[in-house]
Amino acid sequence: MYRLLLVLCFFFAHPIFAQSLTEIVEKHQPNILKGSVKTAAPIIADIQAVGTEAATEFLTNWQDKALWFIKETGQIVSVVTDDKKTYQLIDIETGTLVTELAKKDIKQIKPNSGLRKMLGSALVTGKLLSPQKEIRLAGVDALIRDPKASHLDPLRVALEAEADIELKGIMDRAERQLTIQFDDLEVARVAAIESFSNDLSVEARGTLNPLLSNKIMLADLVPEDANIKGPITPGSEALTYEDAFDLLVAAEKATPVPTNAEIASILEANIENDTIAGFALADMSDADTRIKAYLALADAGKALAFDPNATIADLVADHEFIAVYVETSKAVTDAASNALDQINAKVGFSRFIDLALDGVSLASIYFLAAIGLAITFGVMRVINMAHGEFIMMGAYTGFVVQQIIPNYTVSIILAVPLAFAVTFAAGVAMERLVIRHLYHRPLETLLATFGISIALQQIAKNIFGTQARPLTAPGWLDGSLVINEVIQISWIRIAIFVLSLLFLLLLLFILNKTRLGLETRAVTQNPRMAASMGINPDRINMLTFGLGSGIAGIAGVAIGLYAKVTSELGADYIVQSFMTVVVGGVGNIWGTLAGATMIGFLQKGIEWFNPSNTLAAQTYMIIFIIIFIQFRPRGIIALKGRAAGD
Amino acid sequence: MTGPLTKFLLKYPSVLIFLGFLSLFTIFVTIGSEALGYGFISTSMVKILGKTLCFCLVAIAMDLVWGYCGILSLGHFAFFGLGGYMIGMWLMYARTEIIVTEALAQAALPPTPDEISAAVGTQIFGVVGGSEIPAIWSFAHLFWVQIAFVVLVPALLAFVFGWLAFRSRVTGVYLSILTQAMTLALALYLFQNDSGLRGNNGLSGLQNLPGLDDVDQSVISIWFFIASAFALGFGYLIVKLIVESRLGNVIEGIRDDEARVRFLGYNVEAYKLFIFVLTAIIAGIAGALYYPQAGIINPAEVAPIASIYLAVWVAIGGRGRIYGAVIGAAFVSLVSTYFTGGQAPDIPLGFATIKWVDWWTVLLGLSFVIVTLFAPKGIGGLVDLIAREKTK
Amino acid sequence: MTGALLEVDNISVSFDGFKAINALSFNVFEGELRAIIGPNGAGKTTFMDIVTGKTKPDTGKIMWGEKNENLLRFSEAQIARRGIGRKFQKPTVFEDQSVFDNLAMSLKDDRSPFAVLFNRITKDAQKRIEALAIEIGLADQITRLAGELSHGQKQWLEIGMLLAQEPRLLLVDEPAAGMTLEERNRTVKLLREAAKTRAVVVVEHDMDFVRNLDCKVTVLHEGAVLAEGSIDHVTQNKDVIDVYLGR
Repeated sequence: MYRLLLVLCFFFAHPIFAQSLTEIVEKHQPNILKGSVKTAAPIIADIQAVGTEAATEFLTNWQDKALWFIKETGQIVSVVTDDKKTYQLIDIETGTLVTELAKKDIKQIKPNSGLRKMLGSALVTGKLLSPQKEIRLAGVDALIRDPKASHLDPLRVALEAEADIELKGIMDRAERQLTIQFDDLEVARVAAIESFSNDLSVEARGTLNPLLSNKIMLADLVPEDANIKGPITPGSEALTYEDAFDLLVAAEKATPVPTNAEIASILEANIENDTIAGFALADMSDADTRIKAYLALADAGKALAFDPNATIADLVADHEFIAVYVETSKAVTDAASNALDQINAKVGFSRFIDLALDGVSLASIYFLAAIGLAITFGVMRVINMAHGEFIMMGAYTGFVVQQIIPNYTVSIILAVPLAFAVTFAAGVAMERLVIRHLYHRPLETLLATFGISIALQQIAKNIFGTQARPLTAPGWLDGSLVINEVIQISWIRIAIFVLSLLFLLLLLFILNKTRLGLETRAVTQNPRMAASMGINPDRINMLTFGLGSGIAGIAGVAIGLYAKVTSELGADYIVQSFMTVVVGGVGNIWGTLAGATMIGFLQKGIEWFNPSNTLAAQTYMIIFIIIFIQFRPRGIIALKGRAAGD
Repeated sequence: MTGPLTKFLLKYPSVLIFLGFLSLFTIFVTIGSEALGYGFISTSMVKILGKTLCFCLVAIAMDLVWGYCGILSLGHFAFFGLGGYMIGMWLMYARTEIIVTEALAQAALPPTPDEISAAVGTQIFGVVGGSEIPAIWSFAHLFWVQIAFVVLVPALLAFVFGWLAFRSRVTGVYLSILTQAMTLALALYLFQNDSGLRGNNGLSGLQNLPGLDDVDQSVISIWFFIASAFALGFGYLIVKLIVESRLGNVIEGIRDDEARVRFLGYNVEAYKLFIFVLTAIIAGIAGALYYPQAGIINPAEVAPIASIYLAVWVAIGGRGRIYGAVIGAAFVSLVSTYFTGGQAPDIPLGFATIKWVDWWTVLLGLSFVIVTLFAPKGIGGLVDLIAREKTK
Repeated sequence: MTGALLEVDNISVSFDGFKAINALSFNVFEGELRAIIGPNGAGKTTFMDIVTGKTKPDTGKIMWGEKNENLLRFSEAQIARRGIGRKFQKPTVFEDQSVFDNLAMSLKDDRSPFAVLFNRITKDAQKRIEALAIEIGLADQITRLAGELSHGQKQWLEIGMLLAQEPRLLLVDEPAAGMTLEERNRTVKLLREAAKTRAVVVVEHDMDFVRNLDCKVTVLHEGAVLAEGSIDHVTQNKDVIDVYLGR
């Protein structure tokens, strides 16, 4: 009643008065001190009519028992104290220091709980009807965080009055949440529940789930009018044998079975001259003897007897257990479980889509990490263990550029070609200095490049330290693309996907449509023949290797954006990259794409079954790959016939 | 000594030289140790030397599988680690059981077996939030079973993996990558808390032998040192016998031209599998001797990088010659310990100081590139060169 | 059924649509010396790959010996153990091992790893190896590393290794390539000698060499038999002339 009155007062009071807060407070001073619910409504309305922040502050302070009055003058002030001896009095209107007084000169105003509730409600109303949108929004947020039955009416009034469409939507949602929880009418609650059945948000489920909370009872003890969920079999996840037995004991339908620890403590209490009930203490290392001794004690009346042969499961088996909803209205629980079923089905589907998108995202990362390798390993049959370190060099290049150029957009745009240049140069240098001497000894390339790999890793550690360095994405890559509450994908991952797509097209173009690509393929297939046709294999090998390494550098910038840049960044990707190339089929860009797709989806798929354990997912994925290679030793997309070579 | 063995040793005096040198070294260290001798070799030094001998043993295995049979395995340190885990399980369980039993003996009632095992479980697995003893620890209280596992578990893994890989004719760098993947899978598995092997905490306190708390570490370290020396000598002899046998010819043939061997009627896959499993067993035994000296084993030890270092040792020492593997492992691991241990003096350059702790790995990596490029036969190759010069 | 040692029956194989062998059938009899000639890409090497188990054909079967076993069911090593030896185009010997070890490894014996591990070279085996070394003209090179031998000597060593296997059928791929005239004549003698105790099939380009072998010749073209008969017979065949000289 008061609430409605208050709301009405507010509406009508607003335009009429144009007094200052001080004046109003002075006018109502006696009633404020008295703090009666009956007289408070017009005071609150008057104060809210002032509409200043100080007025809201005043009401909040009133509610929080933070208002005091000076005994001598009767002036109402708010108070701050540092030492609880002297009190600084603050003017309610201006917020300035009035004076300092001792505690004996002032007295606290203590509104009763009814009045505090009223003040709270008025404050909510005030916020929800504030002319400023931010305040209204903050009001709704506060209300959702701490829902109370008393908020329902002001919220409904505010919802009616709200003009802003976005805010109206939020208020509508809040209203339905409060309706579900607090409305007296079953029909209204059911309607509100049903309105959520398309809502995938965590809050919606958070609102509906408590409605279905239930407790398990012995069938005999369930009251007539209880809202019954259904029978429960002991030994299931919902009800363990132990819990069921505890229910029986609580209902005095069974005597408690002592735990091993309880038996031990009773035995201990009855030790007499190294024997317990006639059994030697030394024999107590045997569990059966302990029970015999305990039963002997029970016979002597020193312990509660129990049947050691009956298991708890047997004892429980003769009784029925029933789950009973805490919520008494069946219509509400039915509607809630219905709505939750619908939501869960949709959430399940969305999760699947989300997982698929995660798979695509992971696949594009693997593709990006592996594509450079697909060129050096796949096309040239040179195994480059330092490939991971080229990725790392790319990431650090990005980091260094960001140190020099603070604008993230500019620095990222600069970092990409720079990373390519740095790792291209490193790749060419490595090819010229090391790999070229080892073309006829492929296993030794592995060793030599491994030496380079550990050297590069340690150099990075010496220069940049062991702690992770951030590579910050520009603002326009912050956040996620939100499709619904479940399906969201961060813009960085989308960018990586786009980047890998670009690389796929670029490489297909280079290998299939350019002179370099033609010569590369020629050298791959028959180096001697290619040389005799005027192609310089040395130059081609150098360029190809540089290209593969350069792409690793760009991959490093991309990976660095979402993973921390450390000296071990590359090492984390190297095995997966090799797997990607081998699984996909060596010597083929499409193969790498297929390999990355398979490994990305596979890993996400395994995580789906065991989401808490990504380590296990990787373990099983590698085992799967080892087995997969049994059946397709040349990968998914294999070159056939003699061209595949040995 | 039996007749054929004597003949063998006379035919290959290098084995006698090696065994003689190893014996002298063992006697020297024993005499110099704190426990049994004059004490000019500290206990920690004895442990370092003992561990180095284990490295030499696993390097011999690596040399057999890579240098002689041509399989560049990046997984033999995984077998080494598995051997360590198997013996570590017994060491940890048995010792915890003794401690727990002693603690429970203070209680009024003598403990039941269930109480002991529950207490042991809490003690060992509390660190990963468990208290139950996983099924794979079923035999952890039986010394001889775990000793058998030191051999059987690496052998089984090597057999299953090798059978799959060789059967599908995966060779060369592909095989190397596949072994690396196997190692990574094992390491990742061990890193999990619910692997039953204490996740990344690993197994610890392995330097303490159950029931031998009264025996000083200086004595135990000498026991393990001598045991490692025996294992190394025995392993050297076995591997030498194999490479000088007809089977040695066949596996060298497989290394040089697999197809030719196949068309001569040899089942190449069976030979590779035999060598792969045998070397995995040697690696497992080496690990079982190593980790009680190291005191702790954790999954990081099994990571692929360790196996690659193993290849580095053998390459620097010189492939295809057993003493090369021994020299490589001993030299590189000891020098690495010296430089990364912080004992080496820094080099002031005026504008900067070179700290060996930081730059040793870089130097190692680059020297490895240089060895691969210019001295593919490693240190062993130099020895050959000197030997040839003398005979000229 | 035909009494042939090796019966190739209607074999076809294609790589990426290219028919390397096209419904090829022919027989080799016990103790026969046979030459197979044909232009590049006629399928000569592929035919050898199929017989020795390296390549699996798409269709057809290959029957072997008295028991008429289908060779396609066996692995390379199993086929080799059944008595088919193969010499590659490029000489493939174990260069890091001595001539003696090369021959010892090839001796007919139990091939299982454990048997080989404990196997020792008996007096008999020693004698056989020495006899073989004399036969292939490498008696004075027996302790040398195979890698130090000349090209021709390697070819002979490989033939010696095949003989050590005691095969019933010897497949020899271009033995004369890169040899001097003198070396060729020696090789011809070696092969003719070998063919006295077993069947020998020689794939060769060189017409003079084939003529010297003086045996039945099979001409392959586009993966099928084009002509068969004595060297003079096939060289006068019109189809053969067309194929060799081009149209």
